[in-house]
Amino acid sequence: MVYWILLQKSFMRNMQYKVAHLINNAASAIFGFVFIAIWVGVLQGKENESPYSALDMTYYISAVQCILWVSGFLTAGLNIQNGVRNGAISLELVRPTNFFLYVTSQEAGRLLYNFFFRSVPIGLVFALTVGFYLPQHPATYIYICISIFLAVIISVNLHYLVGISACWTTEIAWAHFVNFTLLVGLGGQLVPIDLLPSPLSALTPYLPFAGAIYYPVMVFLEKASNEVIFIQLFWAVGLTLINMWLTEKARHKLEIQGG
Amino acid sequence: MSLYLKLISGSLRSRMQYKMNFLVSSISYGLIMAVDFVLLAAILQRFNDVKGWNLYEVGLLYGISSVAITLYRVFGVEIHNFERYMVEGDFDSLLIRPVSPLSLLLTKNLDLSRIGGTIQGILILAISIFGLNLKNFELFLLVLYLPISIISGVAICFSLGLLTATIAFWTQRIKDFQTFTLYAPFNAANYPMNIYPSWLKLIFFTVIPVGFMNYTPILFLLDKGGSLWNLALPPAVATIFLFLALRFWQFGIRHYHSTGS
Amino acid sequence: MIVADQLNKHFKIYETKKGFIGSFASLLSTKHHIVKAVNDISFTIEKGEFVGYIGPNGAGKSTTIKMLSGILHPTNGRIEVGGISPQKRRKEVAKKIGIVFGQRTQLWWDLPLRDSFDILKEMYKVPDAKYQRFLKLYDDMLQIGKFMDTPVRKLSLGQRMRGDLAAAMIHDPDILFLDEPTIGLDVNAKTSIRAFLKELNTNEKKTILLTTHDMDDIEQLCSRVIVINHGQIVLDGTLEELRKNIGLPSLMEIQYREKPDVSEVKLTGIEKMKWEDEKLVILYDRSVLSSPSLLQNVTQWGEPLDIQMKEPDIEEVIQKIY
Repeated sequence: MVYWILLQKSFMRNMQYKVAHLINNAASAIFGFVFIAIWVGVLQGKENESPYSALDMTYYISAVQCILWVSGFLTAGLNIQNGVRNGAISLELVRPTNFFLYVTSQEAGRLLYNFFFRSVPIGLVFALTVGFYLPQHPATYIYICISIFLAVIISVNLHYLVGISACWTTEIAWAHFVNFTLLVGLGGQLVPIDLLPSPLSALTPYLPFAGAIYYPVMVFLEKASNEVIFIQLFWAVGLTLINMWLTEKARHKLEIQGG
Repeated sequence: MSLYLKLISGSLRSRMQYKMNFLVSSISYGLIMAVDFVLLAAILQRFNDVKGWNLYEVGLLYGISSVAITLYRVFGVEIHNFERYMVEGDFDSLLIRPVSPLSLLLTKNLDLSRIGGTIQGILILAISIFGLNLKNFELFLLVLYLPISIISGVAICFSLGLLTATIAFWTQRIKDFQTFTLYAPFNAANYPMNIYPSWLKLIFFTVIPVGFMNYTPILFLLDKGGSLWNLALPPAVATIFLFLALRFWQFGIRHYHSTGS
Repeated sequence: MIVADQLNKHFKIYETKKGFIGSFASLLSTKHHIVKAVNDISFTIEKGEFVGYIGPNGAGKSTTIKMLSGILHPTNGRIEVGGISPQKRRKEVAKKIGIVFGQRTQLWWDLPLRDSFDILKEMYKVPDAKYQRFLKLYDDMLQIGKFMDTPVRKLSLGQRMRGDLAAAMIHDPDILFLDEPTIGLDVNAKTSIRAFLKELNTNEKKTILLTTHDMDDIEQLCSRVIVINHGQIVLDGTLEELRKNIGLPSLMEIQYREKPDVSEVKLTGIEKMKWEDEKLVILYDRSVLSSPSLLQNVTQWGEPLDIQMKEPDIEEVIQKIY
């Protein structure tokens, strides 16, 4: 299976930089400590006004810092834009492989690497310092696996969307910035989205960004009903279909215009 | 000086060749910082304050810290991207000129797309100053002191950037160190230091002294504690730190002279 | 003008280990071996000389040039360039020398050539009148006027190299270090650059040190050749002496169906014969032994499967001889 090989190769390529990544993990943990400190500071003496205690928020931020590496920090545009710029995309689109899977399986390899060499070590740092939540119900472990899997699919698709837009716009820097900002802003990286001001807090639960970060974290902390997985599923399927359709459009466009 | 102007205008013109790209990247960079602050505002709107600091007070810290790091990103872009010189072996071409490599790096390029972030920071500062409703004298003192605080911040940031860049003489790559020495500390300095556990505070007041640039003077200026000394510390710390960074840089260059890349 | 006295440059090469544990272990390990990139080199170059500095890749050419220009400091030994030590007073030496690296440009990539010159003029503090004279002179010699207002990234390789050469001369240095200035250029560009260098040397009395892979550069330009291999000078003399020593032989490689015994073969004109794997490599002097007659001979020794002929490549020849 060619996609499995692509995934493995991408995993191994990332392995080369693991020492540098371990240093980076320490920095990532410091980002987490800063956010935790903000919340502990904010909630001091005000825990009864808030749906979340300081400990809840500590667990929340710790879990977010870990999941960001598999569903937040993805390659800009999944590098599709480079292929558009140098013309290689015409070749890649006519290969017998499925272009969508060709691109996403490479990213999947990187994310799998990130899980083992970023998420897990960062999680361990938090576990040893501020504590790490462990789900009480055995069933949660199954739900969390599904939820994270769907989160990754949503995020990969969002980044693919940005990347494939290069076929029409060439320059995707701004699109990536906007996508990333929405992902961390409305995905609940710093603020759980139910704490956002009123119009936002009503809207954001139904956006894909929540499905990439907020929901898997809440499922993990056993603070959301497991039905949120259906919202994730909706976006995962929907975005995949949109991207498949756009890929066909792009292929069509390149066939006619020759890039 | 006229060399500097020539180089800067050269850099401007080469940038302007990609106008659209430039405009878009400056706007989006500003936007990211804005969203970050809006989220903080959302928290503090709901919970009023963080350990006694309200939104406008935190805004002052936030503004100083972000103006400082973005100005460094504008003027120190070649220092920030120094690993390129090691990885691609371009450092040699700096050592054949009758000018020091550091001045060459500082004049080689400007990253004007970061100006968007600087404007963002200044806006946050302005909003915060209005929101604070200070009395005349306090307001006067604060506005007078802000440039000193920002310049100290830029100097501290530049020193950290230069220290990190120097590491590249040994390790070639430094991008991952930068997250540790620049991004994370400056993110932390957006917020008051008293919220952090003591071990983090220790770091931010010693090896990575970002606490001095904004927290120390603002503490006194907003009458939250400290003495007049708090106003002298930022420039003093910045000067000492800059001196140390320059010494380490010189040491790095001597190492390069003996080993090459 | 240039003095190198018992010059040495040693590099410590640290061993790196593979694998996860290994990459940590090699951070701490101090195991290393020493590579003598330049090993006891001495030479003196007088004003107005045009010296070719040649040798195979990794022989120590670049390391020497880097030491002469103050980029690298020698492990031990003494250097003087224009009477000054580049190691102690690098910036002063920088004003006396012009350097061109063929592989990478010194020009500002996104700016028009003119802007690069303007910046360099300020950097080297060249007076206006002198600068105007420079622009005039170098337009005459290199015809750079045509593309003065084109961004460097849009120049052809030949144009870029002409720009780089002019940029190296902007402060009117007495000494020029040229590292592969003709690499990758087409014949026309090479010819015009050689004519320019010749003129610099004869009319302006510039002292020039040139490294190159191209034998024609050496033949047409250099009055003296220094050959370096494994960090040591193996020959320092005129082009005639170089010829006499290594003959600049042509090369023939023959692959036989069965390896014939050639140890008894004696043929005037053949300088060296040896087996490289399955191939017989013959170095011969074409002025003495013509290629057709050598061909006739080699087919008599056995049944050839494949024959290849190569023109002398300076690197290869030096590596084979020494």
